[in-house]
Amino acid sequence: MKTIYYIIVKEFLQLRRDRRMFGLSFMAPVIQLMLLGYAATTDIKDIPVLVYDQDRTSRSREFINQFVNSGYFVVEEEAHSLNEIDRSIEDGHVWMALVIPTDFSNDLLALRQTKVQLLADGSDANSANISIGYALQIINTYSRSIVAEILKRSPQLQQPARVTPEIRVWYNPELKSRNFMVPGVLAMVLMIITTTLTSLAIVKEKEIGTLEQLMVTPIKPYQLIVGKLLPFVIIGGLDVVLVILVARFWFDVPLRGSVTLLLALSGLFVLTTLGLGLFVSTISKTQQQAMMTAQFFFFMPFLYLSGFAFPIENMPRVIQYLTYLIPLRYFIVIIRGVFLKGVGIAELWPQAIPLWIFGLAILTLSVLRFRKRLG
Amino acid sequence: MFEYAIEVHDLTKKFGHFTAVDHVSFTVSRGEIFGFLGANGAGKSTTIRMLCGLLEPTSGSGKVGGYDINSEPELVKKSIGYMSQRFSLYEDLTVEENIRFFGGVYGLSSGKIKERIGWVVGMAGLQGREKSLAKTLSGGWKQRLALGCAVLHEPRILFLDEPTSGVDPVSRRRFWELINELSEQGITILVTTHYLDEAEYCNDLTLINAGRLIASGSPKQLKANHITYSILEVETTNPVAAMDLLRNQPWVIEISLFGTYLHVGVDDEERRKEAIRSILASTGIQIRRMERIVPSLEDVFLRLLEQDSKKRAA
Amino acid sequence: MIVKRIRPVVIKEFRQIRRDPRSLIVLLVFPGLLVLFIGYALNFDVKHISFAAFDQDKTSTSREFIRSFSNTEYFDFNYSVESYREVDALLDEGKALIAIVIPTNFSKNLLGGRDAAIQLLVDGANSNTATTAISYASAIIQTYSTKLASKVLARSGREVYLPIDFRPKIWYNPELLTAKFLVPGLIGFLLMLSAVISTSLSVVKEKERGTMEQIMVSPLHTIEVTLGKTLSYLILALLASALVLVVGFLFFDISIRGSLFWLYTGILIFLLGALGQGLLISTIAQTQQVAFMISVFSSLLPALLLSGFVFPIRSMPIVLQVISNLMPAKFFLVVLRSVILKGAGLSAFWDQLVFMAVFAAGMITISSMRLLRKAE
Repeated sequence: MKTIYYIIVKEFLQLRRDRRMFGLSFMAPVIQLMLLGYAATTDIKDIPVLVYDQDRTSRSREFINQFVNSGYFVVEEEAHSLNEIDRSIEDGHVWMALVIPTDFSNDLLALRQTKVQLLADGSDANSANISIGYALQIINTYSRSIVAEILKRSPQLQQPARVTPEIRVWYNPELKSRNFMVPGVLAMVLMIITTTLTSLAIVKEKEIGTLEQLMVTPIKPYQLIVGKLLPFVIIGGLDVVLVILVARFWFDVPLRGSVTLLLALSGLFVLTTLGLGLFVSTISKTQQQAMMTAQFFFFMPFLYLSGFAFPIENMPRVIQYLTYLIPLRYFIVIIRGVFLKGVGIAELWPQAIPLWIFGLAILTLSVLRFRKRLG
Repeated sequence: MFEYAIEVHDLTKKFGHFTAVDHVSFTVSRGEIFGFLGANGAGKSTTIRMLCGLLEPTSGSGKVGGYDINSEPELVKKSIGYMSQRFSLYEDLTVEENIRFFGGVYGLSSGKIKERIGWVVGMAGLQGREKSLAKTLSGGWKQRLALGCAVLHEPRILFLDEPTSGVDPVSRRRFWELINELSEQGITILVTTHYLDEAEYCNDLTLINAGRLIASGSPKQLKANHITYSILEVETTNPVAAMDLLRNQPWVIEISLFGTYLHVGVDDEERRKEAIRSILASTGIQIRRMERIVPSLEDVFLRLLEQDSKKRAA
Repeated sequence: MIVKRIRPVVIKEFRQIRRDPRSLIVLLVFPGLLVLFIGYALNFDVKHISFAAFDQDKTSTSREFIRSFSNTEYFDFNYSVESYREVDALLDEGKALIAIVIPTNFSKNLLGGRDAAIQLLVDGANSNTATTAISYASAIIQTYSTKLASKVLARSGREVYLPIDFRPKIWYNPELLTAKFLVPGLIGFLLMLSAVISTSLSVVKEKERGTMEQIMVSPLHTIEVTLGKTLSYLILALLASALVLVVGFLFFDISIRGSLFWLYTGILIFLLGALGQGLLISTIAQTQQVAFMISVFSSLLPALLLSGFVFPIRSMPIVLQVISNLMPAKFFLVVLRSVILKGAGLSAFWDQLVFMAVFAAGMITISSMRLLRKAE
């Protein structure tokens, strides 16, 4: 027991002396969260559009205004020929081009159908999808208003019955993508910090030779590991509090669930990430190796596959099963659940249990791997 | 109670196809200063690591302090102190912090630790520098500090791996004085070194080359057993040319350059002195001094290494 | 002259890298592997949305309505519930994304020619998915209403009048494959990451070991040392990028529509900038730990989020839009997408190349200056 105490003291002394590292451990997650919380937005607005109005009547202008007034679109350019369209989309000046035929208003007056063309830049598939969706909605609304006008003029025509949806959005009524993203960024940032710190913990001693000196002493593997991890548990814990505060008070992400639960489960998560870093530490020979391993084998795949930005439900079945191995996946569900949905342990235990198991497994594995022998 | 502090029998370590230590056997009595000599890469560090329980032997057995290195490595570690070749204390901790840390890890009480801090500081001459970071210490002080940390728990057996490499001669002297002091307290010390002058300070020596034991015994014994001929020290105006001339003479047992002097091993002192004079005179090389010297360990070892190389080549 | 002196540095770096096979694999092979894996796994498309139906009407009409959802590939009818409480639970637990509540007078209203209201309860936590789900649902409801209207009108021999026929045509990526969107970005992202990290670590490692001084004492100019180190990692990164492009071609059908020459010019300039960034970090950091932290935080998350790789820059607060101009990754992405997907000519991205070149030159100059200063 006392051995662990001495190791903790040593770790803190060393940490305190490396001012930069110490500062980074706290500053980095906060700054990252702040910066990225703003950047991580999937709300699409101000979509640049090119309009090629071949009709040039008050009707066609009224139609164009529907797009502008929606707030989603911005008319960047007005074209006078088809060639200009090619250029603009290719150069990326506009995402879409709206082509209105010459007989637009005539056709509408005569109750004929008129064809409007929309050309979209598909290289940004997500934005294209959403932009087209908005355009579709606008055009449908406009179509209906035309039909309503017609019906008003000839009241003998029957207005056909419609199904009208009353849409209610839960948890995030304004559909702010920030509320979805910030908790995710929080989880990401937390993981990166804690894993990085610990992945270097043992390797550094390996590299500089002090590990050899330690191995010659009566110290037991679990004592070394606990002693090395405890300071990082404390730092990780403080980081947790810090980033939760930023998310709640800076970004106004609603925290509807129990704070205690959040802290407890975050602590659990931190333990698993620490374990992960530790494991990396035991399988690497140099610090560079450790960091590359952490980077490419863990951070990157986790970034993409944990449900942070890309929904897991959309992934191929095989890969969905794979994601069950990713601790971050569970924590992201937890953190979004507690913040936005206000759910409790009753709903979250299917997430908490795997985290628990993972943490235990990885820590046990690391202790077993660490034998007091060289080579 | 055991007779030997360290017993090694047919100890072997292979890394893949490379045999670093090849069936090495020796014993070390209690209270001895035992020297382990050899060139870099000869297998010294590997052997020490096996004895400390840091490396698992491929085959063979050993007992340190009565404990088996194969089956009881943790018990071995409790009774030994170890100082590795490179400085392996924490550079970003102060002198005091390092001592306190290792003292704690060895399970010493805080009162005992305080006492040992005083002892190490005094022994190493670090008074006034207790609060200095270890990385600010220069070579000699670092070594002494490392030595101090290795004996905090007052072990009966001490393993020192090239403790004085890269350290100035004055500090080396001082370090060996410390080793002697420790030895006088009854501590068994196994030192590896490639400094042959340090070999003279040891009670018993073993020479290792390419993983194999070539010779062992006290310095006196080694000199007596292996140098049965006379060694002439010759100071000339052109040592390199002289060496070339004399090398192929059939009565030259061995010849080597010691700084600017030649050490020539001959069977008959008087006759060969004449021969040397005439050969060198014929080419105009002048002899400033030529006299018989007492063979040093360096002479012994060079001879042994040469013999061993010849044996391997055959 | 300089070339000759750099050679030994480059050779040494390569030797060191070769002896660390894990790093080699990571630097060369991994980007390609990751692209394969991720491009295959990731999808923004929203399909098979799990929904629950609370049908209080229970008529053939209401069931037909529900079928209009489940018959599409967008929605999966997974839960049929009998109370609001069950709806709550399903949404809370994330088992359903949408709940459709059909009131008791649904079919009565419709058949009587009156508008019938239904409730759509949507889990808004993931706003992206929610928005898309809502627009799909709206479209389906729209279609259903139109079909109803046709049936009614057909009875009196008339047709539905759809004023505007709307045909969207999608360029460059007609099936709106997420992979084609992501893979070019992934290239940039991965390359930047490995470049920045490996250079920053490599120099700091020498600093820690003390071998840096050894080199600096030699007749080699500090800049030459810097260039030598940069060169070796540059070569590795270029090889890795070629591998990634091959993967993109083989597995995702991404053929390079534009000029290969300009593509590689863009890659080269970008890499120089990233390597320069790594070097700058190495002059600031004293330990490998710090170097790594700074590298990760200045390249991983920012490149992912601020470069337009995943999230469109136009949607971000103005401040961030400005900051994004400091990210070479942003410009690189434009070049990549222009050349690979659009097959655009130089006029589309020459300004991006210029920005990247300025960034690269700036990074390398500042780091060299700092290195020189340290040597004195």
